Amino acid sequence: MEVACVLIPEPALADPVEAGELTERLLHRLERIGAAVESERPGEAFFTLDGLRGLYGGERAGVLAAARRAVELEVRIGVAPTRFAAHAAAQRETIVPPLAAGNFLAGLPVSTLVGRLELPPREAGSLIETLRRLGVETLGALAALPAGRVADRFGPSGLLALRLARGEDSPLRPRRPHEEMAEEVELPEGAAGGQLEHALRLLIARLVAAPQRKGRTVLGLRLGALLCGGGSWSVDQGLGRPTASAQTLRAVLGPRLEALPGPAASLRLRALGLGPPVGDQLELSVHGSEHRRRRLGEAIREVRAAQGGDSLLTIVPLDSASRFPERWAMLAPSPDR
Amino acid sequence: MTPGLRRLYVPRSAKVDANRAGEPTSVDGVAVEAVREQWVVEDRWWTPQPLGRRYFELALADGRNLVVFRSTLSGCWYQQRG
Repeated sequence: MEVACVLIPEPALADPVEAGELTERLLHRLERIGAAVESERPGEAFFTLDGLRGLYGGERAGVLAAARRAVELEVRIGVAPTRFAAHAAAQRETIVPPLAAGNFLAGLPVSTLVGRLELPPREAGSLIETLRRLGVETLGALAALPAGRVADRFGPSGLLALRLARGEDSPLRPRRPHEEMAEEVELPEGAAGGQLEHALRLLIARLVAAPQRKGRTVLGLRLGALLCGGGSWSVDQGLGRPTASAQTLRAVLGPRLEALPGPAASLRLRALGLGPPVGDQLELSVHGSEHRRRRLGEAIREVRAAQGGDSLLTIVPLDSASRFPERWAMLAPSPDR
Repeated sequence: MTPGLRRLYVPRSAKVDANRAGEPTSVDGVAVEAVREQWVVEDRWWTPQPLGRRYFELALADGRNLVVFRSTLSGCWYQQRG
């Protein structure tokens, strides 16, 4: 088995919210080439090459070239027989053939284990430091130690380190692929209050109108913002009942904007999961005009199917009090309902 | 600009001749009959991308009413609906 590891370089991951967004983008783009990806930490993705070779010319190089093209990000890619070795290979942007994995791992410093031991950084650092004090500087030296002695001295974490150093690793646990549904709106200047509510309304309208939703409901949402003063903010919002009602989403997400710590330069909305189609779901409230709205929604869907996604637009007010007319409103894809 | 979104009332470049006082005398070759109103808007002066505009509401010789502005930063002329 060969495992590929794709890493986003550290500087791009400084902001945790941005790192999450970048990682999601990375995973989604890799899934588009057919990769079954695993990612437990921001900025990294693992997938096995074996099943993909047939799709990309039968060679490892074909798969890696497809992956690099697909991600459209500056990344480091490495290949090795296990997850841990692939991570180390990606940091060095190298390919480690199965027969060379032992030698490759043996030459690595024990500090390579930091971040891979399922331990808090301080405890992992302490374990590494202890190994060094005992004269165990490389993974090769660690791999040569008897498992019993390592277990006595370091417990389960030591045994995990030993297994990794010996080239043993658990199989990948790929996530279930899903289509990315995310919308972002840049705000012309630090927006707050009513402007933010307009922006949220716009994002919800776009998310509900997104063709990839294919009538399905939304199970949860992540609302995030890049702040004018630097940094970012995000909040995950579960939905008690799956819904695709813009009105319900606005009611649920609107109050969350109050927690925004400062003026925002952009606002993002991402669907965290999709549920059954909207026809099976209940609305929070059904007004007398609901029947008419449903028929209008059908008509909109038909026009959009015939003329394209952007054939129907809706005017979304942004900042009607602005002294600059171009900030008053925007045209956005019309939601189905 | 976020893909799929379109701004409304976006300023468009205009060819404007002005007199010494800075008031338009013609727009795209059409003479200005009267300057009905003028005002100045300044905003975002606290940011690296400040905005400054001197607006003119004009009556043109061909009967149209038009709003144009001159960017006080770039000196360029634009017309704008709204």
